[in-house]
Amino acid sequence: MSNDKEYLPPKILLYFFKWFCRRDLHAYIEGDLLELYAETRENSTKRKANIKFALDILQLFRPNMIKSFAGLNRLNYFGMIKNYFKVTWRNVIKHKMYAAIKIGGFSLGIAACFLISLFIKDELSYDKNYKNVDRIYRMLTVNSDPSDLTTWPSFQAPIAEVLRNDFPEIEKVGRLIPYDWFDAGNNQVKKSGEEKNSYEEGFAYADGEVLEILEIPMVYGDRSAALSQPNTLVISKRKSEKYFPNENPIGKTIFLNNDESRPFAIGGVMENFPRTSHLQFDFFITLKGKEFWPGEQSNWCCSNYNVYLLPHPDTNPDELSEKLIAIRDNYQIPHFRRQGSMAADIMEEYRSFRLQLVSDIHLESADIYDVFANGDIKLVWLFGSIAAFVLLLACINFINLSTAKSANRAKEVGIRKVMGSVRGHLVNQFLIESIFFSSISVVLGSFLTYVLLPYFNALSGKSLSFPIQEWYLIPLLVGFAVIVGILAGLYPSFYLSGFKPIEVLKGNIQHGAKSSKLRNIMVVFQFTTSMILIVSALVIYRQMDFILNKKIGFDKEHVVMLWGANTLEEKMTPFKNELVKKIDIQSVTTSNYLPVSGTSRDQNEFWKHGRSQIDIGVGAQVWGVDEDYLNTLGIKLTDGRNFNTAMASDTAAIIINKTMVKDLGLENPVGARIINWKPWIVIGVIEDFHFESIKGGIGPLALIYTNRGSIASVKIQTKDMSATLESITTTWDQFMPNQPIRYTFLDDSYARMYDDVKRMGNVFAVFAVLAVIVACLGLFGLSAFLTEQRSKEISIRKVLGASLRTIFTMLTFNFLKMIIISLAIGMPIAWYFMDSWLADYENRVDLGWDLFAISSGLVIVIALCTVSFESIKASIVNPVEGLRAD
Amino acid sequence: MKKFQLGEFEEVVLLTVGVLYQQAYGVSIKKEIENRLSRTVSVGALQSALVRLEEKGYVQSNSGESTQERAGRPKRYFELTSNGAKALEYTRSIRNELWDSIPKIALDLKFA
Repeated sequence: MSNDKEYLPPKILLYFFKWFCRRDLHAYIEGDLLELYAETRENSTKRKANIKFALDILQLFRPNMIKSFAGLNRLNYFGMIKNYFKVTWRNVIKHKMYAAIKIGGFSLGIAACFLISLFIKDELSYDKNYKNVDRIYRMLTVNSDPSDLTTWPSFQAPIAEVLRNDFPEIEKVGRLIPYDWFDAGNNQVKKSGEEKNSYEEGFAYADGEVLEILEIPMVYGDRSAALSQPNTLVISKRKSEKYFPNENPIGKTIFLNNDESRPFAIGGVMENFPRTSHLQFDFFITLKGKEFWPGEQSNWCCSNYNVYLLPHPDTNPDELSEKLIAIRDNYQIPHFRRQGSMAADIMEEYRSFRLQLVSDIHLESADIYDVFANGDIKLVWLFGSIAAFVLLLACINFINLSTAKSANRAKEVGIRKVMGSVRGHLVNQFLIESIFFSSISVVLGSFLTYVLLPYFNALSGKSLSFPIQEWYLIPLLVGFAVIVGILAGLYPSFYLSGFKPIEVLKGNIQHGAKSSKLRNIMVVFQFTTSMILIVSALVIYRQMDFILNKKIGFDKEHVVMLWGANTLEEKMTPFKNELVKKIDIQSVTTSNYLPVSGTSRDQNEFWKHGRSQIDIGVGAQVWGVDEDYLNTLGIKLTDGRNFNTAMASDTAAIIINKTMVKDLGLENPVGARIINWKPWIVIGVIEDFHFESIKGGIGPLALIYTNRGSIASVKIQTKDMSATLESITTTWDQFMPNQPIRYTFLDDSYARMYDDVKRMGNVFAVFAVLAVIVACLGLFGLSAFLTEQRSKEISIRKVLGASLRTIFTMLTFNFLKMIIISLAIGMPIAWYFMDSWLADYENRVDLGWDLFAISSGLVIVIALCTVSFESIKASIVNPVEGLRAD
Repeated sequence: MKKFQLGEFEEVVLLTVGVLYQQAYGVSIKKEIENRLSRTVSVGALQSALVRLEEKGYVQSNSGESTQERAGRPKRYFELTSNGAKALEYTRSIRNELWDSIPKIALDLKFA
C-alpha cells in the first residue's frame, strides 16, 4: 500500500479483542482487522470505519475464537498442589528446628486466643436470655457533682407505688433488697418441726413483680402469685431439693434464725439462677405487707431498695429518665427540705436518674456502687488485646523465620521461574505452605486449649467449657487457620516470589541490609511487648503484696470469725465468758460489722448537734459493736475511752475515727454531741483503719454499742490452731446443739477481697510468660540462622586467632543492640499504663526505677541466654567444619 | 462417504483458498469471496470457518511476513491439504451426480 499514514482504530476495542481472543490466533486476526480498517478509513469516514471495526470485533466473539479461561489453569492445579505439599514437607524435614519453632509459636498464640475468646464470649453472655431483653431496666441514681461523681442503684421504699401510679409508660415495677439487711443476706434455716438449723446464704427481699419482670421460670407455683401473701418466700430448685426432696413444698413452713414466732410459708419454687445472671439468689422473701419499722414504707428517708422496671414497648429510656426527675422534685427533695437538710440542694443541682438495661449490668457497672460481683468491660478489652498481641508475636516469628531462611529457597524459586512459573503461582505456593503450618498449629493449639482449660478456669475464676458440640467450631477453626495462614504468609510469599531467576542461579542471594532492617524492627516489637507485659505483671504483684501486707490499722492475724452467733441471744455473754476462759483465746467480741466484705454495712449521715439544717451532713458508716471490739481487733484508741457496760448513758455513746473528727470539724471531739437520726455523745476517738478495700481511702466510721452482733470474732494465740479450733467447736456445740458451727479466718476473708486483682495479676503473669516464650522462640530461630550464615566467617576468624570470647561477643552484640532499643521504647509505655491503673488506688506502690531495672535485667538475661546457646555452639565448633565445603 | 462433511460456507472458503493458491490469508480470502459471490463476509464468520477447516485437516496454515498496514502483525497463509482437495472433489462429484440426475423436464420451466 502506498499510503504512509497509520490509521489506528479505537484502542479500547483492541484491548477488548485482545482480552477474549485465543492467544495463538490473536496476532494474525488483529493484523487482518487493522488492514481492513485502514482500507475503510481510506474510502469513507472515520466514524463508519470505527463502527465497522466494532462490528467486526463483536462478530468475532464466537466460541471457537475465545480463549479458554478455566481450562488452562485447571489442567495444572491438582498436580501442582501435590507438588507444593511435597516440597513443603521436605522443607520441614530438612529444617526440623525452624519448623518446630514456627509451629510451636503459632500454637501458643492460637491457644492463647482461643482461651481468651472463650472467656470473652462468656462475659458477653450475662443476662441475655430474656424474652424482653431490650426493655428490662434497672433504675440508677446519678450524682453528677464533679467532686463526688457516683452512681448507685438504691431508692426509697415508696418509689414503687409512685412509679406504678404516676407513670403510665411503665408496665411493671418491682423492688429488690439484695443487701445484708434484716433477713436478707444470710440466715439460719430450720424446717418446721425440726430442730437442726442450717446456714444459708442468698436471701433477698423482693416484690412479686420482680419474678415477672425478670421472667424467672418457676418449678412449682405461679409466678404472678408466689409472693402475693405476706410472710411468704420463694426458694430455688436446689434449696427445695435440699430441704423438701421430691415433693412440692408449697405451703410448708420454715423458720429463720430460730425465730419460731415469725414463720415463713413457701409460695413457690423457682429455677436456679444460671451462672450467667447478675442475680444469684436462692431465697426471695416477699415485700408484701412488710414494714421494717413503723412508717418505713412511706418514708422517703432511706434508700435501701433496688428497682427493676419493664416499660411498655417503644418507650424511649432517655425520655423516661427525664420524666422520672419528677420523682426527685415531688417527693425526694420535699422530704429533705422538711428535715432542713442540705441534701435537698445537692439533689436539686446534681441528682438525676438513669435506666440501665439489665443485659448491660454485668459489664457496664464497674463504677456503680452495687453489691454484685460484676465483671468489667475494660477487662474484656484488655484480655482481648493481650491475646491478639500474643498471636501477633507468633505471626511475626513466622514472617521473620520464613524471610530469613529465604536463601535456602532462593534456588528453588529461580528454577521454578525458569521452568515457567508465574509469580502468582509462587505466591500461591508459599501461601499454601503457610496455611499448612497454620492448620497444624490450629490443631495443636486447640488441643493445648483443651488441656489447659481447667487451669485457665482456676486462673480466671470461671467455669468455661470446650465447645466441642457447637456447630460453629470446625468451620470457625478452619476459617481461622486460613486467615492466619494468609496474613502471616503474605509478606514472605511476596518476598520469596520476587527473586530474579538470573541473580539467584548465579549465586548472588542479596538478602542483606534491606531485609534485615524489617526483621530487626519486628524483633524489637516483640521484645517491647514482652517488656510491657513483664513490667505490668511485676507491678500488679507488688501492689497486691503491698495491699495484703500493709499496715491496715487493725490486727487481722489469728482472728477466727464465728458466723450466726446472733442465735445465741441471751446465751451470748456466757458463751463469750466460756471462750475467754481458755488459755489460747485472748478475747472475743460480737458484731455484725467487720472490716472485711461479706459483713454488714450501714451508712448514715451525721451532723454536729444543732446544725443539721445548716451544714452538709457527713456520710459515715455506723457499726454496732460491743466493749471487746477494739481489744480483739487491736484498734487503737487515741482519745477518750471505750464503751463501759456499767454506764447506762453509754446507750447514747459513740466512738468515731479520726477521719470523721476531721470531716465534722470537731476541735474537741471527746464530749462533743453529734446527731444522725438521734443524738449521740462522743466518748472516744480511734485511729483510722482500712475497713473497705484499700483501693479507696479511709472514710468516716462511727461505733455504737450493741451486744447482739451475729459474728463472734475470736482472737487466738496458740501454737496448735487445730486443737484450739476443736475446743471452740466443742464449746459452741454445748451452747448451740442444733446449729453447726461455721467459721472462717479473718485474714482469709481479707485476702479474698482482693481476689479480682490477684486474678488479674495472675493472668498478666501467664501472658507475659507466654509472650516472652514466643519472642524468645523467634530470637532463637533468628540467631541460629544468622550464626549458620556466618559459619564460614567464624571459622576463618578462629583460624586467624580469635578467642572464644571475641566471637561470642561479636555474635551477641548485634542482638543486644535490638534488645536495648526495645527496652527504651517499652519502659515509657509500660510506665504510662501502670500509672493509670494505679491511679485507681489511694494507696499504691511507687513506680520506682528499681522496678524497671529488674524487668530490664530480666529481659536482657533471657534474651542473652537464648542467643548465647547458638553463639557458644558456633564458637566451640572446629573451624575445619565451616571451611570444609570450600 | 460421511467423512467429508462440508457446510456451504465452508465449501466456498475452501474453494477460495484453492483459488488464491499461496496468496490466501484472512483479508484476501474475504475480498475474493465478496467479489466473486457478491455477498458480505464477516471477519468473524470467516476466521471461524478457517479454524474449523484446519481442525478438520482440510487446510494448513503457516506464518507469513508482516507489513506496514498491519502495524507489524504477521499474516497467516492457508493452503489446501490433500484431504482438503479430496473433500472438494468428493463434494463436486456428489453435486454433479445430483445435477445429472435431474430429468430435463424439471429444468424446462418455460411453462411456469
